[in-house]
Amino acid sequence: MFIGITGYNHESSVALVDRNGRLIDYYREESLSRIKGDKSFPKRALSRIIKANNITFDDIERIAFYERPLSSFLYPIKVAAKYLPESLGLLEHQFRNFKKSSVSCFLDLASKFSGLEKKLIYSDHHLSHTLTSLAYSDKHTELCSVVVDGFGDRSTTSISHVIDPLNIKELWSTDYPLSIGLFYSCITDFLGFAINEGEYKVMGLAAFGQPNNKYKKILSKIFYWDSQKKRLFADMDYFSYHISVTDSYSKKLKNLLGEPRNPFRSLFPDDQDFQNYADIAKAAQDITVEILCKIFEHAHSLTSCRRFLFSGGVAMNSASIETLAELNFVDQLIIPPSPGDAGAAIGSAYYAYLKSNISTKILVKPSLFPSKYNIKEEDLKVEKIISKNFTIISEGLEESLEKAAELISQGEVVGTIIKNNETGPRALGNRSLICNGVDHDAVKKLNTVIKKRSPFRPTAPAMKLTTAKKHYKLTSAVMDSYKSMSATCNCLPENESHKFPVTHIDGTARLQIVESCSFLDLLLDKLKPFGIEIVANSSLNVSGDPTCYDLIDGLMVCARTPLKYLITDLGLLEKKITNES
Amino acid sequence: MRSDHSPTLNVLSETAYAEYGSALEMLAACKAANKPTHAYGYFEHAKDEYNHTGAFLSMLSTRSQIVPCNTARQLRFNSSSVITKGYVDSEGYLIENLNIKDFIAFVYTNELLAKSSFEKILKLVGPSSIDGETISGIMRDELRHHGFAEEHFLHYYPALQPWQLRFYRIRETIKNKSRKLIRQNVEFLEKIFKPLYSLMSYLVARLVLAVNLDVFKRDGKNLLDIPTKSIL
Repeated sequence: MFIGITGYNHESSVALVDRNGRLIDYYREESLSRIKGDKSFPKRALSRIIKANNITFDDIERIAFYERPLSSFLYPIKVAAKYLPESLGLLEHQFRNFKKSSVSCFLDLASKFSGLEKKLIYSDHHLSHTLTSLAYSDKHTELCSVVVDGFGDRSTTSISHVIDPLNIKELWSTDYPLSIGLFYSCITDFLGFAINEGEYKVMGLAAFGQPNNKYKKILSKIFYWDSQKKRLFADMDYFSYHISVTDSYSKKLKNLLGEPRNPFRSLFPDDQDFQNYADIAKAAQDITVEILCKIFEHAHSLTSCRRFLFSGGVAMNSASIETLAELNFVDQLIIPPSPGDAGAAIGSAYYAYLKSNISTKILVKPSLFPSKYNIKEEDLKVEKIISKNFTIISEGLEESLEKAAELISQGEVVGTIIKNNETGPRALGNRSLICNGVDHDAVKKLNTVIKKRSPFRPTAPAMKLTTAKKHYKLTSAVMDSYKSMSATCNCLPENESHKFPVTHIDGTARLQIVESCSFLDLLLDKLKPFGIEIVANSSLNVSGDPTCYDLIDGLMVCARTPLKYLITDLGLLEKKITNES
Repeated sequence: MRSDHSPTLNVLSETAYAEYGSALEMLAACKAANKPTHAYGYFEHAKDEYNHTGAFLSMLSTRSQIVPCNTARQLRFNSSSVITKGYVDSEGYLIENLNIKDFIAFVYTNELLAKSSFEKILKLVGPSSIDGETISGIMRDELRHHGFAEEHFLHYYPALQPWQLRFYRIRETIKNKSRKLIRQNVEFLEKIFKPLYSLMSYLVARLVLAVNLDVFKRDGKNLLDIPTKSIL
């Protein structure tokens, strides 16, 4: 057995790969701690993976951490040191938080799982990302891997040639602090959203912006791709993330773009400042996409590959994927379902596997639902919670699906806690909120009443491939990515889909093509007699919380929101009406 | 720079984190419970704490719309700060680290202590305001939780005498006051040692600047060939 671990910098997680190269379990720490973006040492996830799979320490051959900890610690310090004395606050913070950095992985492992630290090895940050995406590829040779994130253990962007899984050559990289991910985070912060959490809000807001607006011209001068030198350029005078603990942008950027948005002020399309902020978001989004295109062109020129792996936090920018996939030298673009750091645990587990002495090494394509969950662990525990607050209106999957379909056809929103968890960050049906995707009132209820999301944010549609082909322009290079909601696509011209509530203002949708025999596939079968072919699908959680992991989490969402129905492995539950609710 | 509103805003923000921490503690207790009745009790308690968090965040949000952007940014709620701010121990939830008796004693006493903290917040926001009414409701919830914990305690540990419950309460009060005292001392020492920390950071940073990290560049290398034990 081989374990991969991520943590300390972004969401922590643990993955388990067996000797046959199969991902057999995976947990994010946030799913278990219930703290969104939990980046602490993943002790719960590791304990759970050991317990749920009934393995002993002796069964674990190697445990791989996803990055080189000292590199990850030293590089930002070295950069900050160049900006002394302005950066003194950041440097002091880094030194005093040494114990919270990834350098502590060995010590944390030794103190909490004594003995396992002897099996600890280290992968390169971007190699972990590459191996994660490689696992999801059907072919494992002659690929080009592009990794773009905020900061890895040395670089922020890299291009590697995957000759085969054991021969992955890095050909080009960009050093910190030049970073597409941190540029995008800086704009996220400027627009009043939380870094590492609000980037997808910027992506949604960008659709409301005017193309080629004044901010595009302004930002293009301080952050761009230097075509001559084939490298990224950023005027660091406008940014502060490399010298400050609290500020990601400098006064100079404020002078350039105007007043940053107060995070507590509303952001509705009719608000006075809305268009201004939408234009800034649009400018940042367009610059990001343009630079990504240049990096892919460079990657192609270096490797001559036509099949690409794309990972790192920036690969979560689903609105950029279609443009990349349509580049004339791209035949296939693979994006793993969890391209950020949390997903890199999968790659680091594969790194441990590849570094083992097993003679024939095969990477088996992982499931989209790898986190093991068994209702039997909870069914007794939840007995009284259910009997007091819910009525079981149907038992058994078949009957529950039929009843759920009926409710959805009547405009209801139904939550799901069914079988294993998704890899994340997108819910693909097993931990979702579902409603009729063409019913405007139902989608509005899901989006604003239950999830309390800003009205400018789109809700994703899920459908079968045949339905998707009728309404949306699919790109063959990213067909696999549609299964994990990793790419957006355009509506077909003059198609009714332009009017669907799950279509964004710019005529795009981040659609999910459901996997055959998955829960959503079965539900769509039951919805067909009602004439419903498209459902809206959003993750089951309350804003600010991680997506639900177990039934108790799902029951809690029902208790805290107006959500009335929850389809579970125990049956379909209906919330009892009380004075409180 | 903080505005005049900051003391109230800070109190609301910190209270929201404290309530959120309690919600997480109760949810963890619910998941760790081995009896359906206990799980139900903790579930309801967690739900109340989540609702309290929402109430304080709502009060914070209304008031923060008129403060300068820099202040507002610092007040933005970030779930994972519940650990860095100390409302959830980085070593784990109470239920993961305490025996069940001590855990219930903790809940029993801290709910009562929380109620007295809310009395101070009530004065800040004004008892007759809408927010004041919300806080009064929260105080009633806290008293109810305290009552449940007491009931639970006496039911499962009938041999315990009322004086023992008082002892737990005094113990928690002393612990809370000690924590406050330690924090104040740490803040005081921080002021004294700050220049030393800064000097040390400056010197170490100058040293790091001299280190050549370019030798660890990977250009042209097979990444699978890098030694597995290398931390650089």
